[in-house]
Amino acid sequence: MRQTLKAMTILCLGVTVSVGAAEDPKAAGACMTCHKEKTPGIYKQWFDSEHAAHNVTCLGCHQAQRGDNDAYQHYDALIATLVTPADCGRCHARAAEQVGNSYHATAGQILDSADAYLAHVAAGDPVAVIGCESCHGAKVVVDPKSPNKLARRSWPNSGIGRINPDGSLGACSACHTRHGFSKAQARQPEACSKCHLGPDHPQKEVYEESKHGNTYFTNKEAMNLHADAWVVGADYSAAPTCATCHMSATKKQGVTHDVGQRIAWTLRPPISKHKDSWQTKRANMQDVCAACHTATFSDGHFYQFDATVRLYNEKFAVPATNLMNLIRERKLLENPASFSNEIEWTYWELWHHEGRRARHGAAMMGPDYTWWHGFYEIAQHFYFKLLPEARELGDPAVNAFIDNLLDNDPMHSWVREQTEDLKKQIRSGAMQKTYQRFFIVED
Amino acid sequence: MIRAYLDFIRAVSLGRLGRAGVVLTTTAFVSFVFMQLAMLSGIVTNSYVGLIVYLAFPVLFVLGLVIIFFAWYRQRKRTGLTTRELLERRFGPDGVKEDLAGSKVFRTVAVLTLANLVILGAASIKMLHFMDSAKFCGTACHSVMSPEWTTYQASPHARVACVECHVGEGVAALVNSKLNGAWQMISAAFNLYERPIPTPVHQLRPARETCEKCHWPSKFYGSRLQTRVSYENDRASTPHYTTLNLKIDAGAAGNTGVHWHISPDKEVRYASVDDDREEMIWVESRQPDGSVRRFVNTRLSSRDPAADEVRTMDCVDCHNRATHIYQEPDRAVDEKIRLGAIDRDLPFIRREALAALRGDYPSFEAAESGIRAGLESFYRRNYPDQTAAWYDRIDAAIIELEGIWARNVHPGMKIEWGAYPSFLGHSDNPGCFRCHTRDLQDEEGNWIPDDCTLCHSILAFGEDDAFAYLEPTPEKARNRAMHEYLREEFLASTRN
Repeated sequence: MRQTLKAMTILCLGVTVSVGAAEDPKAAGACMTCHKEKTPGIYKQWFDSEHAAHNVTCLGCHQAQRGDNDAYQHYDALIATLVTPADCGRCHARAAEQVGNSYHATAGQILDSADAYLAHVAAGDPVAVIGCESCHGAKVVVDPKSPNKLARRSWPNSGIGRINPDGSLGACSACHTRHGFSKAQARQPEACSKCHLGPDHPQKEVYEESKHGNTYFTNKEAMNLHADAWVVGADYSAAPTCATCHMSATKKQGVTHDVGQRIAWTLRPPISKHKDSWQTKRANMQDVCAACHTATFSDGHFYQFDATVRLYNEKFAVPATNLMNLIRERKLLENPASFSNEIEWTYWELWHHEGRRARHGAAMMGPDYTWWHGFYEIAQHFYFKLLPEARELGDPAVNAFIDNLLDNDPMHSWVREQTEDLKKQIRSGAMQKTYQRFFIVED
Repeated sequence: MIRAYLDFIRAVSLGRLGRAGVVLTTTAFVSFVFMQLAMLSGIVTNSYVGLIVYLAFPVLFVLGLVIIFFAWYRQRKRTGLTTRELLERRFGPDGVKEDLAGSKVFRTVAVLTLANLVILGAASIKMLHFMDSAKFCGTACHSVMSPEWTTYQASPHARVACVECHVGEGVAALVNSKLNGAWQMISAAFNLYERPIPTPVHQLRPARETCEKCHWPSKFYGSRLQTRVSYENDRASTPHYTTLNLKIDAGAAGNTGVHWHISPDKEVRYASVDDDREEMIWVESRQPDGSVRRFVNTRLSSRDPAADEVRTMDCVDCHNRATHIYQEPDRAVDEKIRLGAIDRDLPFIRREALAALRGDYPSFEAAESGIRAGLESFYRRNYPDQTAAWYDRIDAAIIELEGIWARNVHPGMKIEWGAYPSFLGHSDNPGCFRCHTRDLQDEEGNWIPDDCTLCHSILAFGEDDAFAYLEPTPEKARNRAMHEYLREEFLASTRN
């Protein structure tokens, strides 16, 4: 897929000049004439955009080629409503390539994921359209009978991993919304927070409570958001936004549209894992931190963060996952379908909701999300929902697993001890020693 | 002579009732003559007096006569006497002869009846004539007609009488209008009318018959240049110009234009969802070869409303507010600024004027004080040092705004801003786009053209200069493609 996209991008780059030349300026004038009246918002957004300043008009993006399956005749022009990363890539080749390689571009391929399964069985198709595909991206279907040749079930859609009829993946308008195509907009946290929020991945909320968010919202006017180049530490230094850490330029790194390049862990699955070549990615991130922090300072943050992720994995995620595997192996569940038994929902929320909240909170300096919205709820649901629901199954092997955990795991055996003894252990530091092994520096 | 008349009158007045009838008739007659003289000589000019003179007095006059006869009838019933015996008793043997037709009484009654007929005839003609006057229509039912009367007086048709468009000529139209008027009197008296009054789409005379007395289709030729100024809501109320070269031709000599719709060899018919005529079920045009091309609303297919009435398009389908023109507040304020009646040097005057006009006022008095309070407090609060120096201009603006409000908003008739939309153009209402829309399609999926330059060339659209697109395009204009396209289109259209 990536190879195809690369080839396509290069091909597109080649035809950029010819497409530009083929654009009939009179036809674009006709477009503007009507759309200034009929859709004044779009016209004004475009008029104020960098595109307008650089003479990129309607047809620069919307002109279609004869034979495109979503092309249609609109007055004197052959156009396509849908503008894909392949179209944008005719000028923004590098950005399009990075988008194509990013984890974002794969977001539309969710049909086999647990999330999509759940939305389809527990809710229904219309919910999948709005509740899942709005963010993840729809597979846009061409409908020759539709006035704009796009099937209504799949359009409008600006999901980040949209599967476009031309084979490209993604939607630039997911972040560079509508006809403003603004860099300044995409640099602000609001651009990300259509999707990165809520019970299962509250990055927006974590950012808002973090020191980074505090300084951003209280110094927004000092952010130089409209600057052409936006190098942290050079063009601005008031605060980092989502884009600053994950995408934007530093003095050493160029801007990248491949959002995964500075992330060492994947905190998405039940048990957190290091990503491929995570050391490089961690170094990339620490390079961003270096604009404002010394290496010692950021080392300290990652020391604390990594320990928290390991604790989550070993104290809750691994035992809970092993317990669920045991239950499934022994065929103890009443109903056959996935998610048709309460304990499956309990386990799901443990890692998918509060489990992620805890880890994302730790990653981005969100104390409340790490503890009250995170580990506090993980613990509550682990001890008082997951374990009791497992015991209700009345299976000796399951009971033995739980007893072993509570009797022999020093992180869980507190439930069988006296409060006064536990307080003494905390005061003496003995309790903390149990968790000392998570504070390590991995290479 | 007078003595003989008085004797007759005395004899005719049978009992208390008869006397009352005589008094009523005589008083009405004397008053009518007196008031008529007063009006002719110009002593009385109030239009309401006409209402009394031409409506009330003749009615009282006839009523008196009826009472006199009723008194006779009653007397005959009560006494059991025949008419002859009664006559003899009242007028004596001299007055009544064997041959009744030869009697003095008969002669007197005949002469007086003739005189009454003449008087009544004259009064009726005066009455009808008065009822044909715009003043009667506009002020007789004051509260009901007040909005229409107000807008009519400010309209291009202010010197065309209401009846010219609303009644028409001939006995049938007259009878129809009087019957209609009788019902209107009842509905006004018993509060049965709708508020706001629905546009009389069915009662109106055929527009082609009315309008074309002055505006006949062969008069619509060529194009008409029109510049509209609108002002921004910024501090300076910055003007922006839109200049259109309206293609108004009726289609003679190969030209096209908006009056194509009513050119003599064309017929456009349509069926709309309801009497608002805003949403079409279908539209069709008769081609020169006699075939018909119909465009059906694809958006309605699932609802499939039945077409109650098929209408042939005429003037009022676009010029639906040719006379009773209700303005939108922004247009009204823009017009006053353009005329200099509202001074643009007052900071934020347009923004503040609109805010004041759009307030929710239950009556004109409330609007008067609300508009004044709104504007004055804005300037006092934000420009305390200059307000005194500006006061005359602020006051003038307030008076203009109160005038705009009084013309367009009528709480008693529930007429708020925008109660009666205009179909002309498409700035405040879909207007042209009611039919020129992709929603209406023929069997092959074609729609009625809706290109911007079909009906007008555009020489400026919200620009700083009224002829921005005719002038050389600035090098850095972001929309220069549009400048060039519209300039070429205009020049090409003038070459046709």
